[in-house]
Amino acid sequence: MMQDNNQLWKIILNEIETEVSKANFLTLFKNTSLLSFEDNVATISAPSTMVIDLLQKRFYQVIKKSLDKHLKGNANIIFVPKAINKNEDIGMGPLFVEVSKTPLLIGHLPKVRKDYTFDTLAVSSSNQLAYVSAQSVAKKPGSSYNPLFIYGPVGVGKTHLMHAIANHIYKETPGRKIVYITSEEFTNEVVEAIRTNDTARMKRKFRNTDILIIDDVQFLAGKEKIQEELFHTFNTLVDKESQIVLSSDRPPSDIKKMEKRLSSRFSGGLTVDIEPPDFELRTAILLIKAKKYNFDLPIEVAKTIAEKILDTRSLEGNLLRLMTEMEAQVSPIDVLLDKILKGETQIEPSYHHPDEIIKNLCNFYRIKPTQIKSQKRSASLVRVRQIAMYLLRKELGLSLVEIGNILGGRDHTTIMYGVDKIENLLVGEGFSDEIKKVVHFSKTGRTN
Amino acid sequence: MKASFLCENVDKKLSFVNHAVSQRSQLPILLNFHIQAKKGNLIIKATDLEIGIQVSIPANVEQEGEATVPARAFYDLLSNVQKGIIFLATKDNNLIFGTDKIKTVFQTTPAGEFPKIYEEKGGKIATIPEETIEKEFSSVVFAASPDPGRPALSGVLIKKISGGKEGFLMVATDGFRLSLRGTQNKNTESDGGFVVPARIIKELSFMKDNKDVGVYVSKKGNQILFEQEGSILVGRLIEAKFPNYQKIIPQDFSTRAEFDKTEFQSAVKTCAVFAREAANIIKLSILKNKIKVWASAPSLGETEIDVDAEVLGEENEIAFNARYLLEFLSNIEGEVMVFEMAGPLNPGVFKLKDDPSFLHIIMPIRLQAQ
Repeated sequence: MMQDNNQLWKIILNEIETEVSKANFLTLFKNTSLLSFEDNVATISAPSTMVIDLLQKRFYQVIKKSLDKHLKGNANIIFVPKAINKNEDIGMGPLFVEVSKTPLLIGHLPKVRKDYTFDTLAVSSSNQLAYVSAQSVAKKPGSSYNPLFIYGPVGVGKTHLMHAIANHIYKETPGRKIVYITSEEFTNEVVEAIRTNDTARMKRKFRNTDILIIDDVQFLAGKEKIQEELFHTFNTLVDKESQIVLSSDRPPSDIKKMEKRLSSRFSGGLTVDIEPPDFELRTAILLIKAKKYNFDLPIEVAKTIAEKILDTRSLEGNLLRLMTEMEAQVSPIDVLLDKILKGETQIEPSYHHPDEIIKNLCNFYRIKPTQIKSQKRSASLVRVRQIAMYLLRKELGLSLVEIGNILGGRDHTTIMYGVDKIENLLVGEGFSDEIKKVVHFSKTGRTN
Repeated sequence: MKASFLCENVDKKLSFVNHAVSQRSQLPILLNFHIQAKKGNLIIKATDLEIGIQVSIPANVEQEGEATVPARAFYDLLSNVQKGIIFLATKDNNLIFGTDKIKTVFQTTPAGEFPKIYEEKGGKIATIPEETIEKEFSSVVFAASPDPGRPALSGVLIKKISGGKEGFLMVATDGFRLSLRGTQNKNTESDGGFVVPARIIKELSFMKDNKDVGVYVSKKGNQILFEQEGSILVGRLIEAKFPNYQKIIPQDFSTRAEFDKTEFQSAVKTCAVFAREAANIIKLSILKNKIKVWASAPSLGETEIDVDAEVLGEENEIAFNARYLLEFLSNIEGEVMVFEMAGPLNPGVFKLKDDPSFLHIIMPIRLQAQ
């Protein structure tokens, strides 16, 4: 039928073309069409009201005559405004094409691990309260608990929970400004801002956020200027109902050298603790981690590991080790397991951070770490500095260049000389005892 | 017809109505103004069959009537008369135009031949203040395509936002960039709304009278009509389906930069001098605390300008057509601008910090590996 109408209209237009002027035909008839013909009513479309008006005024009879002739009737004509799109299938341009082809990049927040979500955290009685309150904060940031203060020993999932909050808010409302930062980074930013005399930018950054998450606030202890900055930031954010989430290894009141006004604000919202995972949770964590690596971990094995190992981080480490060993060897899983778990009890985790060693060393000799990194070259200072070089080299196995950088940007040849010097001195008995003490103290912070 | 009016009253309005006179129509009647004296007003109309404009001028009407008059001549004549009272009268087939010194006799065409510019106004869907038109419509309409071969892209999608603050959601895109204004709420359906030809929206900004503008839509007439104190702008709606713009608005970004709009604009302007010699490419490098705007031309050399910025996320690089950047920057107002991107091949998003209702997306240019 549609086809018929189109053909009929084509014939009619050809006729009309001979009767009207070329100008009229081109401007008025060109974009018309016969939409339907029913019960002696012909519906004709034309692009605009103005065109229709002219057609009706001037050419009604012309059209009718032609229609009547072909349809052998007495037609009434109705005009409707309708544009005909001849080129409907023309593409919409690269903006629309590209998107349908390539999936959107799933961005993620800076410094926040994408895989740390609420779904990937195992929950049991030891961390349930923290889990629930974190979820409620993530769902209604700023209005449920503000601030949320999470504390607990290492490896219980504080950081995981904080990342999960950030990820959840980011996923639900991507426009929110979320800042996740460790207290060390916070310190650095503040120091940097003071150094470059540009505190305004730093203030803008932190005070304009919708969600501010600071990890390990206990490290701010004793840093008064930083605490002051955090205090003001804190007040600004709470006033405008931005969510704050903090974590620490102990409750706010137990953080020493923390200003009263700040620690009281820390406990102004909800303070929750996470206890070390119990046996069931450790097993669950193992199973979740194994699933993450696509490794089919028998539950009995998981239980055995969970029984022996209490620390959450080494759970994953041991799991990885088990997986690698299994790939390399054909021994049954429990043999390997025994081997790994036996090794575990022997190896004492002995990682020391260079700063920790330097700090302890400085405590031992009662000087400041800044002095050791400074360019001063008084005899006593030089000796301590050389001991530091020796310790970093022998105890941590750092490269000469690395040590040079740590100790205030010294050349590697200086470090080499320093290490040699101490080694030579070690031949003498008295000095060697002193060094032994220093080594012990540097690693433990204790004299015995 | 017999009427007199003040020349000062007509000047601006006549230039507005003149926009609808077709420049080279094959139909002689369309080269005319239609003038009607009625109830203390002189109503002047013009149409090129695509849009129609009507203005009304207060006049002293002694005898009602109508006439058509060659638009070009009438307009030129009137712009040469600076001020004073002008008399119009019809006599036989002529229109007599006179001041105290001038007397002009125009040939006229029968007024009945002039098409009606609209059949019915249609239902009123909104009233918008004039400043909204200036500010909001102009920040969107420039992104529409000038190519009538792609009907949907040559228009501006206008949706009424119901519930809460009254207003419009407006979107225009030419397939390479997209401009959007208006708060998106979840109630805004993906269908609905009207696609209005960009030309009508552009004309709308000439409708200046410091009064609110009424918006009418006639589904039957498939037309949209804007009315402001006797001035009317009318045109047809575009029936083509507007592309699904919601789908292409990026939800994620890996880099976000906040910077001063004026500073950025002047940097782009400067770089455009070089860019225009070489495919109009301007590269933006988003670094830690600044954006480096860069352009080079083999025959000239290269230039780079730093714009201070507050950057979140990874460092990134993206290239745009300078024309798109400049057009966009000159059509919007704002102090602090936000740019978000997710990789050099995905569309970049520009926003205004203080105006969450605005959004502009530009498709980047793929740069050859350097």
